[in-house]
This record gives sequence, structure tokens and C-alpha cells, in this order.
Amino acid sequence: MEMEEVNQEQENSFSFSNYWPSIAIVGAIFSLVSFVIGLYFGYQQINSEPAGSFISPVMISSGVICLATAFAGMIAVWHYTKEVSPFMKLGQGALVGFLTGAAIIIFSTVLNELWLLIDPEYTEKLIEATIANVEAMDLPQDASNEMVDAMAQSMGDQSFFKQIFIGIPIPGLLNMATAMIGVKIFAKKKDEISF
Amino acid sequence: MKYKALYAGVLFGLILLVLFSLGSGLWGGSADLHWTDQLFSGVCHQIPNRTFTFMGELMAVNTRCFGIFSGLLAGWILIPLLKDMISEKKWPLICLLFAGLLQIIDYSGNLFLLWENTNSSRFLLGLPLGILSSIVIADLFQST
Repeated sequence: MEMEEVNQEQENSFSFSNYWPSIAIVGAIFSLVSFVIGLYFGYQQINSEPAGSFISPVMISSGVICLATAFAGMIAVWHYTKEVSPFMKLGQGALVGFLTGAAIIIFSTVLNELWLLIDPEYTEKLIEATIANVEAMDLPQDASNEMVDAMAQSMGDQSFFKQIFIGIPIPGLLNMATAMIGVKIFAKKKDEISF
Repeated sequence: MKYKALYAGVLFGLILLVLFSLGSGLWGGSADLHWTDQLFSGVCHQIPNRTFTFMGELMAVNTRCFGIFSGLLAGWILIPLLKDMISEKKWPLICLLFAGLLQIIDYSGNLFLLWENTNSSRFLLGLPLGILSSIVIADLFQST
């Protein structure tokens, strides 16, 4: 009887504020991990001789970061089902996933901005090292110039809000997808609960 | 079918995802870095020789990402057809894990020079990962 009441209470207690701890905790952890990985590979790129290889530290880090952060939505759903309520509808999972992706972008953008206070020349050194690597590649001059220009623009100074505005949609959608898989794996089915 | 609004919303998002990933060939050129390239720069390395071209221009994502995004859309379109077939079955999840494992094996093999993958092989390996990521949740759309 008591257990039934608890379950009923859990079903009825969905409110937006219940999601935030899972979104914030998982978002903060994943953004910190992706920031540290990015920094590690970034300094590796800066301190290495330009090898002219397509598989440079920066390229490896982008693959690793993408793969790792895409699972944040799933982990946020797991955290929610473990700590708040075992019941979750698909739409709620999708929302948690998207917001977790957004949280990662916001936190990691803040961390990157803070790092520039510690090492103001980091971005400049990274651009120079990446361009040196591209120039050492065996590419036609036009392709090389195009790639250098694109890299300089994408890695160069962008406003804080532009980074967030452009950065959120795609990781948000990918985390939404993994969060829905998380609902399938971790959440109990209670179709009656209203969103 | 349950969650029709969610299904339609995600379908719309995935169509945009694939259309944006086609890059400047579809959306028009730009003297500066194209906005579609900026959109995907956080999730894809966008190495030119690992990227398909579309209408004479490089796509905004590499071939593996394009395979995954196309697969996500294709799988999502298949959900209404498969939702009853997938019901309570474990095989989609096992296949999804296998498809994910294949990416890691292929990426590592290429990284450690055990073999050299191609644009086509990367696209073809990305495609099932995307398809399975979508259809693994198909049964959640099943009406009770």
C-alpha cells in the first residue's frame, strides 16, 4: 500500500525543476571532460612538429569529444531514473537530452573563455600549429589555402553568444537521440503519466 | 501510434540535419566560412578528403557523419512500419551495440595503420549505426 502511494507520487511529481539536477550534473561533467580532452590534444598539437598528417591531435580530439558528449543525453536519463523517478516518457527524455546537449555547450564555452584568462595566447598558438600542419600536407595550393582559411575562421575569435547559438542545435539533437535510447533502456513504462 | 507530435518534430529536425549537412552546395556559397560548416564544426572534423562533395562543393560533414545522419533519418522514417515488429525485442539493441563497436574498430584500425578505410566504407559503416539508433526506440511509439 505504502509502495503504491510512493509510485503514484513519483508519477505525479513531474515538474521541470526535477530535470535540472540531472541536466546540470551530467552537462557539467561531460563539458569538463570534453574541455580537458580538447585542452590535452590542443597542447599536444601546439607542442608537436607539423607532421602533415590528416590525423592530427586536434582531429582526434574532435572525434573523441563528439563520441563522448553524444552519450550525455543517455547518461542524464539514467541519472534521472536513478535519482528522481524511474518513470519517464519519451518526450521528457527527448527534452532532457536536448537540454543536456545545450548545457554541455554552455559550460564548455564558459570553460574555454576562462582558460583564455590563464593562457591568452592559446587560441592563437593552436591556430598557428594547425595551419602549420595543413601547410605540411601534400595538398594542391588552392585546397591548402582554402583549408587554412576555413580553419583560421572556425578556430578564431567568435563572440560568446555566437559560439553558443551555433553550437547548441546539433549536439542538442544528437543528445536527444541518445536520451530517447536511454528512456528505452533505463525508464520504466508508465504510459498513463501526463507530460 | 503514440507521440505523434514528438515523432513529427524529430522528423523535421532530422530532415533539417541532413539538409544542413549537405553544406554550401545546397545552401549557396559564401566567401567566408559557410554557416553550415560552422554549425557542424563542434561535432565533426570536416577533413576535406574525407568528405563527399554535393553539387561541386564539399559537404559540411565527413562521410561517416553523413552516413550516421542519413541513417538516423532513414530509420526514423521506418519507425511507423517497424514499431510492431520491434516490440520488446532485444535484437535492435544488440545490433546497435555491434554497429557502434564497428565504428570503434574501423576508426582504430585506420588510426593504427592496420588498414585504410575509404569514404564509401566510412559512409556504409555510419549508415547502420544511424538506422539502428532510430529503430531501436520504435516500439516506444507503439499504441497500447
